[in-house]
Amino acid sequence: MDSIPQELIDSIIDNVPEPSLLSCSLVAKRWRQKSQRRAFDTISFFSEAEVNRWCADIPQDSDGISSYVRHLKIGVIFSWDEPTLLSRIMGSLSSLTTLSMYATGIPDELPGHIWRGEFGKGITTVHLRLPHCTLLTLTSMILSLPNLKELCVERCRDMPEEPPPTYSVTHQRGPLNSLKLFEGVDRIGEALTKLQFTSRRLSLDVGITNIEQLLLLSSETLVELKLCSA
Amino acid sequence: MTDLPDTLLNGIPRPIRLPLLPALTSLVIVLFAWNPVPRLTNIMCSIDSAPALKSITIDNPGWSRLLSSGSSWVDVDRWLSRIAKHAEVAGGFPLTLRRWPEGKSVWEGFLPEFRESGGIIKVDHGGW
Repeated sequence: MDSIPQELIDSIIDNVPEPSLLSCSLVAKRWRQKSQRRAFDTISFFSEAEVNRWCADIPQDSDGISSYVRHLKIGVIFSWDEPTLLSRIMGSLSSLTTLSMYATGIPDELPGHIWRGEFGKGITTVHLRLPHCTLLTLTSMILSLPNLKELCVERCRDMPEEPPPTYSVTHQRGPLNSLKLFEGVDRIGEALTKLQFTSRRLSLDVGITNIEQLLLLSSETLVELKLCSA
Repeated sequence: MTDLPDTLLNGIPRPIRLPLLPALTSLVIVLFAWNPVPRLTNIMCSIDSAPALKSITIDNPGWSRLLSSGSSWVDVDRWLSRIAKHAEVAGGFPLTLRRWPEGKSVWEGFLPEFRESGGIIKVDHGGW
């Protein structure tokens, strides 16, 4: 086993089906890290108990399992009994690049942690479907991510009514690589317009009230345009 | 006489006019119903100048089977022909109809102005 070059082991692990990766990680010490990196590249949680268990069981060392996670998926945690839990898990994932949330609450304090630089610097991609939070929390979170490149927001129908927040554009942000807005995202579209978000790729529901303004803002940078008509 | 907004007169928003889109190379239209709604037609027609545009795709993920001749297609045809005339694509400007019904008779004669302007229609039946 020792005579097998590491490159060959890595290549084998690259081609192992996902369900076998954890078994692979037990073959030998040299198999462990690469197998675990693939196995824990994406983690998904569908209850607060699962998140709690991860935080309790997985050590948060800088080169351990938690550092292998690049994509965090959270679904159907409509509200958090312990609102700090989301910040805790995001803070423990030092290599996180992609955040996907489906029908999940975003605690009001989350953007503050990101603003203070506690985590989130590496996040480049955010996908939010049916977010459960206020418009202010959602836009604050989007704004607080300094390296955001791809943003997709879908179905914001369950957002509570609130007076429209006032925005001040404090710094000019470069164009996103991709901005996708679908179904019930009028208020998000309006907020992103006020914040002067631009993008190289736009995928837009033509029902968005201010679609013209979104297009006008990106007219210089736009490379690909997708228009979806229900 | 007061110039009433179009929205008050007939419920159809006034077409907008977008400035030059200098970097736009690809446009994809996704239709879930057969006829493009006026809002979509208005937005498409507002793209006046996109000199780098290389292709347009009209995707039909809803697998609509009905072919009806709505005035919205006439507007789209006119706009496509304008794009095709001004495009600098060798061999004709390509329009891909993705996930469209199989059978030539369904789409033969469709978008006549675009064809006359040198546009090339490619049909990707994609499972039909």
